[in-house]
Amino acid sequence: MALTYETRVAWQNRMLLVPALVLLACFILIPAGAAIYISFTNEALSGLAAAHPQLVGLKNYVRLFSDDGFWNSLVVTAFFVFGSSIVGQFVLGLASAMALSRPIAFRPVFNAAILLPNAVPEVVAGFIWISMLAGGKYSTVSRIVALVGIPPQNWLGSLPLLMIIVVNTWRGIAFAMILMTSGLSAVPTEVYEAARMDGATPHQIFWRITLPLLRPTIFLYMLVSTAGTIAIFGLIYTLTRGGPGGATEIIGIYIYNQSFTAYQLGYGSAVAVIMLGVSVAIGTVYVRVLKVQV
Amino acid sequence: MKSTVLRAGLGLAIMVAAISGAVVSSCTSAQTIRVAEHRQARIDALNKSIPSIEKQLGITIEVVEYPAPEKDYMSKLLTELGAGNAPDLFTANFDSDVSDLVSAGYLAPITAEVKAWDGYAQLFDVAKKLSTRANGEIYALDSMLGVEQIYFRRDLLDKAGISTAQPTSWKDLLDRAREIKKKTGKYGLLLPAGISWGGGAFNEGFALFVPGSKTPQIANDDGTLNLNGEGVRDILGLYRSLIDEDLMPIEPLLGPEPWVIPKYTMFPAGDLIATTCGTWCYIYDWGKDSKNPVPDVIKNVGTWAVPGMAGGSSVTVSGRNIWAVNAKSAHLVLAKKVLLALSSVNATVAYAQLLGNIPARKDAADNKEFQALTELVPVLKNVENGTFLKSAPGFSVVSEGVARATEALLRKQTDAVGAQAILVKYVKDLLGDKVVK
Repeated sequence: MALTYETRVAWQNRMLLVPALVLLACFILIPAGAAIYISFTNEALSGLAAAHPQLVGLKNYVRLFSDDGFWNSLVVTAFFVFGSSIVGQFVLGLASAMALSRPIAFRPVFNAAILLPNAVPEVVAGFIWISMLAGGKYSTVSRIVALVGIPPQNWLGSLPLLMIIVVNTWRGIAFAMILMTSGLSAVPTEVYEAARMDGATPHQIFWRITLPLLRPTIFLYMLVSTAGTIAIFGLIYTLTRGGPGGATEIIGIYIYNQSFTAYQLGYGSAVAVIMLGVSVAIGTVYVRVLKVQV
Repeated sequence: MKSTVLRAGLGLAIMVAAISGAVVSSCTSAQTIRVAEHRQARIDALNKSIPSIEKQLGITIEVVEYPAPEKDYMSKLLTELGAGNAPDLFTANFDSDVSDLVSAGYLAPITAEVKAWDGYAQLFDVAKKLSTRANGEIYALDSMLGVEQIYFRRDLLDKAGISTAQPTSWKDLLDRAREIKKKTGKYGLLLPAGISWGGGAFNEGFALFVPGSKTPQIANDDGTLNLNGEGVRDILGLYRSLIDEDLMPIEPLLGPEPWVIPKYTMFPAGDLIATTCGTWCYIYDWGKDSKNPVPDVIKNVGTWAVPGMAGGSSVTVSGRNIWAVNAKSAHLVLAKKVLLALSSVNATVAYAQLLGNIPARKDAADNKEFQALTELVPVLKNVENGTFLKSAPGFSVVSEGVARATEALLRKQTDAVGAQAILVKYVKDLLGDKVVK
């Protein structure tokens, strides 16, 4: 029986999806499924549980909810994401995009200066900032603030969370700026002209035209940036390894510490599964609140 | 059509030639044994021994360099052991790691080879005991030993008019630390603590005080662990006193590499007067060729045995270069031969020169290069007088539990009773209620 043209095309289209589905299955779905399974076991990197892991039911999840370290890492993650992604990167990225959309002198230089941190690998960026922040009176930042009479600080010791927020903001402005620039360029200039002719102030134009029309872009940025910031590891591991005393132990570091420092793969997987749920929930909230179709 | 057949034939011929070449090459060239090592000084020591071992055994040795921090090294090694692609030969950091490596099935038994080895008779008894598991089998060879006690700045104590006599009890040790703080304003004693210090919090701090406590051994013969005892609580109480009275530096211990500031900066600078440490402190940490030398280190830095709680004292001996063979090695026989060669006098002296650990062999004393290490010679003579902790399956969990308990003390979140509860809960959560006594 010969297939109709439409059926053949439909099958061809499905076949085109196969490579992507295979990759998704190999690198996302199967590992995620394995992590969910491991979270119900006592699997470990060493000891008897490494040779003979056993199913322990919900024990890892029960333990997790009474684990102060887990709750601490959730709080730290929330502050870190809010401070660096939602406030720092977004506000500065939007401001940079708006400033650089105007014909100002040395625009390419400013563009490059903002883009460069994003081109630096996470670990290299971490080491650069260690030299800036660590070493007390010998650190670069301490030397700079000494010029205005501020005494030297152990920046990563006394203000650890603020410092990692600053570093991550520095590194992520470029991504926000690129997205916002593309969003701004999609706003028709006629809308601004009409608003000006109607006597709208710059303040009104920003709040009533620019921001509402940027909503899809902001949504996309928030979704991608929040998920990306929750998953950050290398930058924080290089800078503080989650210390001092858990003050910068964001969830990615906490999962690593449980799985590879304490060797408890089962428990680490349980934390990872919970975080998967939290990330999905945050994504859903963004979609609902901003009322944007995905 | 004809050209297609020709091309296919040519392709097949090239493939066959390539495979034959690879087979011939693998048959004729020397077999390669992969050895894991980490930290530059250790890699340098290993590289010193490799040419003679390659010549002796007719093999090639490939050194696989691992991340430097002990914990990162162990994490990577364990991940590879679990995946079945780890090197043929590697070292464990601490004796506390070995029992769990055995339980996991990662280590090949080496009992027969070690006992038939001509170096076996030269091993100190303590090294034999440390290497032998409860079932009498040997899975890892303690070819180097760490001899750990309290190191103090004799020059600074003399200058301040503070006694340098051996402390007689924990109270005496605490009083000495208080006197140091009062008279010099400096920190009186550092005990490694906290999560960032990894296995060191247990092995280089807590464990040293166990023999002199009311719980002198943690591991029982029936596989249970003494963690609920008074001794454990008393040791955590000692930490608590040092922390509460600001006698030991806390902030650096909460950072990412907690040993760096106290041991490499504060002690040489005289801002920290005493710390637990092993013989490596005389060579690697503060020796004349180290990055942070203490001038005339033997004269200016003295040692105290670790006092017991109510009297007596002990010097703890533990394994340092604990060589083991990967149970999944494709070259088990050769790997075991390399392990024994790496436990020779020359190989262990090379490690002693660069790291400061003690060869676990009596005949090392006759080696001229070792005799030049005047800091280590008297220690080698007294190795047999040292005491040691028996390790058992679950010790890596105990080690992590101690790190968490002492971290809570560092952060002033709990007292000794609370810290002991953290340790016990952690171990019970992972190993079951019945394991803890």
